[in-house]
Amino acid sequence: MNKPLEIVILGGGTAGWMAAAGLVSLVSSKFCRIRLIESDEIGTVGVGEATLPHLKNFNETIGLDEAEMMRNSRATFKLGIQFVDWGYRGSRYIHPFGTYGSAASGSGFHQRWLRARAAGHDWDIGDFSYAIVAARRNKFDFPSEAKSTIASTYSYAYHLDASIYARELRKFAEARGVVRMEGKVREVLQDGQSGAIKSLILESGEQVDGDFFIDCSGFRSLLLGSKLDVPWEDWSKWLPCDRAFAVPSESASELTPYTRSTAVEAGWRWRIPLQTRTGNGYVFSTGFTNEQDAADSLLKGLDTPALDEPRLLRFKAGRRVLNWEKNCVALGLSSGFLEPLESTSIYLIQIAIMHLLPLLPLAGMDPRLADEFNRKINVEYDRIRDFLILHYHLTRRDDSEIWRYCAHMDVPDSLKEKMELFGHSGQIEQYRDGLFTLPSWLAVYVGQGLIPSGYSPLADIGPIDRLIDDLEDLRTEISDRVDEMPSHSRFVERYCQMQQPWKLEPAETQL
Amino acid sequence: MSRRVTSVAIVGRDAPLWIAAAAIQRSLGHLGVTVQAIELPSLLQPVDVYSAMPAIQGLHKQIGLSEQLVIAAAKAVPLVAQRYSNWGGASPPWMVGYDDPPPPGSDVGFVHYWARGRQEGLKPALEDFSLAAAAAKHARVPVYRDGDELSAAYGYNLAALPYSLLLKAHAGRLGVRVEAAPIDDIEVNGDRIAAVVLASGDRIEADLFIDASGVEGALIGRLAGSNFKSWEEWLPCDRMVAASGAAIDPPPVFSQISAFRAGWVGLYPLQDKTAVIAAYSSKDISQTEVIESLPLLARIPVGGDAVASALRRGVRIPSWIGNCVAVGEAAIGLDPLDSLGLYVTHSCISHLMALFPVEANAFPEADRYNREIALAGQNLRDLQCAHFALNRRFDEPFWDRCRDRAPPESLKRKLDVFALTGHVPLYDEEPFEEHQWAALLSGAGISPKRYDPRIDVAPDEALIQKVQQRLRDIAVAVPNMPSATDFLKRSRETLEVAE
Repeated sequence: MNKPLEIVILGGGTAGWMAAAGLVSLVSSKFCRIRLIESDEIGTVGVGEATLPHLKNFNETIGLDEAEMMRNSRATFKLGIQFVDWGYRGSRYIHPFGTYGSAASGSGFHQRWLRARAAGHDWDIGDFSYAIVAARRNKFDFPSEAKSTIASTYSYAYHLDASIYARELRKFAEARGVVRMEGKVREVLQDGQSGAIKSLILESGEQVDGDFFIDCSGFRSLLLGSKLDVPWEDWSKWLPCDRAFAVPSESASELTPYTRSTAVEAGWRWRIPLQTRTGNGYVFSTGFTNEQDAADSLLKGLDTPALDEPRLLRFKAGRRVLNWEKNCVALGLSSGFLEPLESTSIYLIQIAIMHLLPLLPLAGMDPRLADEFNRKINVEYDRIRDFLILHYHLTRRDDSEIWRYCAHMDVPDSLKEKMELFGHSGQIEQYRDGLFTLPSWLAVYVGQGLIPSGYSPLADIGPIDRLIDDLEDLRTEISDRVDEMPSHSRFVERYCQMQQPWKLEPAETQL
Repeated sequence: MSRRVTSVAIVGRDAPLWIAAAAIQRSLGHLGVTVQAIELPSLLQPVDVYSAMPAIQGLHKQIGLSEQLVIAAAKAVPLVAQRYSNWGGASPPWMVGYDDPPPPGSDVGFVHYWARGRQEGLKPALEDFSLAAAAAKHARVPVYRDGDELSAAYGYNLAALPYSLLLKAHAGRLGVRVEAAPIDDIEVNGDRIAAVVLASGDRIEADLFIDASGVEGALIGRLAGSNFKSWEEWLPCDRMVAASGAAIDPPPVFSQISAFRAGWVGLYPLQDKTAVIAAYSSKDISQTEVIESLPLLARIPVGGDAVASALRRGVRIPSWIGNCVAVGEAAIGLDPLDSLGLYVTHSCISHLMALFPVEANAFPEADRYNREIALAGQNLRDLQCAHFALNRRFDEPFWDRCRDRAPPESLKRKLDVFALTGHVPLYDEEPFEEHQWAALLSGAGISPKRYDPRIDVAPDEALIQKVQQRLRDIAVAVPNMPSATDFLKRSRETLEVAE
């Protein structure tokens, strides 16, 4: 191969430092040299305090120690997301990081549940998901390695302070050779012929040349959007929220192993428990409320005292039509934005890095590499988009304008078909690429009140009495096993509690 | 809940008919669904062969048919790989074996280690790292043993007529009802079939009709809105002949597929003979000439029983209309290359079962079936097209045309990305996993320009060790596999004990 690829990352924050840490640890230094430009004057957005289980895999792949990362970023565990008041007022369900049924149930469990339901057993489907039952009781333990047991049917993610996580990644990346450059970009130089980006001129006058640029500049999308003029595809007609207020509050006495998302008058509120504080926010649409009312509503809804003033974030749902153009890839907010309803922001950064690695132009730039990257990213974005729209659209709420609008809006055909088939027979589409799999769709459909009118005839196998007995046994088994799990708070305390140097251990006080 | 589907009528012939009937009967028969097969005259000849990928084992399991019975009745020989000769001009023949995919979430594909080794002078071809190809070369059958790190699977070459009869008898045993009278009329009401009227006077009604009649499309062809989209430009052989060749002893466990100036000829070993198929372009060679040249092309004695037929390559869109679902060749027509014939039927039936209608009066499942089948067809077409598009037989008009024709976009992406990176983009509904595509593409002459940079994070020694270890593992595993002869003998003995 040729001389090392000069990679320049513009922007720190979660996206920039995840890219830097991923590249430096997974690609040998003989292939590429990595520099990252960021300015201490520019704050990062870092809304993404709730993550998905994939992040564990990312950390493991690059070699970041879990307990240490959790300790430093005040992290707690996450088994899923609780949705309150979404399908209808008073509704409450958990979207689990796990499956429904036993380890051997496979993808047909919900069809058997539907059969039992048709036979008169109106069981909550959540009772058959180990992750959900554990989350409801504020329990946590690592999933079992024994794949045939019920305690292996879930995975977990983290609630963390994203700005500290980024700092951890920075330490990690710099120790492995990533060069950080302080400064803001004044000018972007392009190649006269190809239009490819050649160098960035910093305000100090320093010129940074590169072969390949990764745009992590946030919403402004300085390189891909502003300089290379890649158009924006707007999705706000389906995802109308365009602002969020974020505010920390004191930590709650009991740490929930789940994020809470509550649908309210003009959007939804998040609640994310960290070790030292609770992250809160209100994602809303200015089409349906104003900033002042939103801020008031957020503060009024806190369950612990606020620690700061609410901070405003502005955004729009959508993505750049291409995420890789010429010699520039956008990661994170500069590539697109989907509201944090399903904690997908960090996932989208991660999956883009993972798609980028095998396609890196190490043997020369070729538009076909970009083309393949863009195809993969678009599949990811589009499938997540449909899943998010489902939350808004599948509602019977008519107490405020936003819910009336969403319930009646025209959704993408791809989603229409999915909803129709699920409503008809409980069919759930399965695909090769794309984040959300069967249990996720199932959780939201059922949780928001779409119960199929029929079920697959294949589920009619075996006598109904046996099915009922099996389900009863499974429910009891899950409940009993979850009882034996430690509480989440206790688990965090033992595994990764943030160090408080001023606090003496009991042993030290014994003279 | 509204009314369930309680009756299914399947119009068709030969293995596809009985596969569809047996699969539906076995899954739904005991729930009170009646399955009625309406058998059209067989198109099979004694010379015909079904060549089936390993997925066929899953089908047999699903319908409860024992392997030993299949092997005995259909004079079957296990099929572990395909060997392609003369497709690359003067370059050596290459094999695509049925290696099992690496476990999900594991390391990057082996092809990257191989590509890296090549840059440093590694001699063996990618194929030498395939357990299945090694088994095929040593006439061994890769029977899975618990704890095997590397594993491979096998399908079968099957004598078509007795296999079809076995399936028919099996379907009957499962409870499928069979009518064999010719069709007199098909009563269509809007987009639904009301009944099939037989020459015997019987009128057969059903909630759901399945068309397993092959290219004829005996049912679906009668409904408005069914269009045939041709793939002629990418699958250039429009005719085939089938004949019987002398048995090879012991029988090879791979099919031998050799290109010639106007198409290809395939040898499919059976226990008592070798089935021979030649697919060709009638623009470039006459039927008489193909038949006359068969012994020369096949390089074994070939009987005078050659039978010719047309090949229809394309997809029916939509393949589910109203209450009529097309499966197998009635939906997707291919070249006989790569042993995909029965797989198409199997795949259509699997999609239908997964989407089996919940009620008799509305079929919202149809749209999804149509999309899945169209995509599955496109991927199968691309797999076959790759062989033609990547040929290196220069100065022969047929092969020059194959190379000059731009491949479909979906295939072009696979070829390009593999050439650039060693990775193969995969879509939904793929018949092959990435490692098999890599075997095919590298065999056909594409050398990835580079490998996945992630493998270089490990020290050089570890990489060399990994490559050598794979060769050692194969060298140890293959001699422990049963030979084809022993495998067939054991199968016979098991059957005798059972009887």
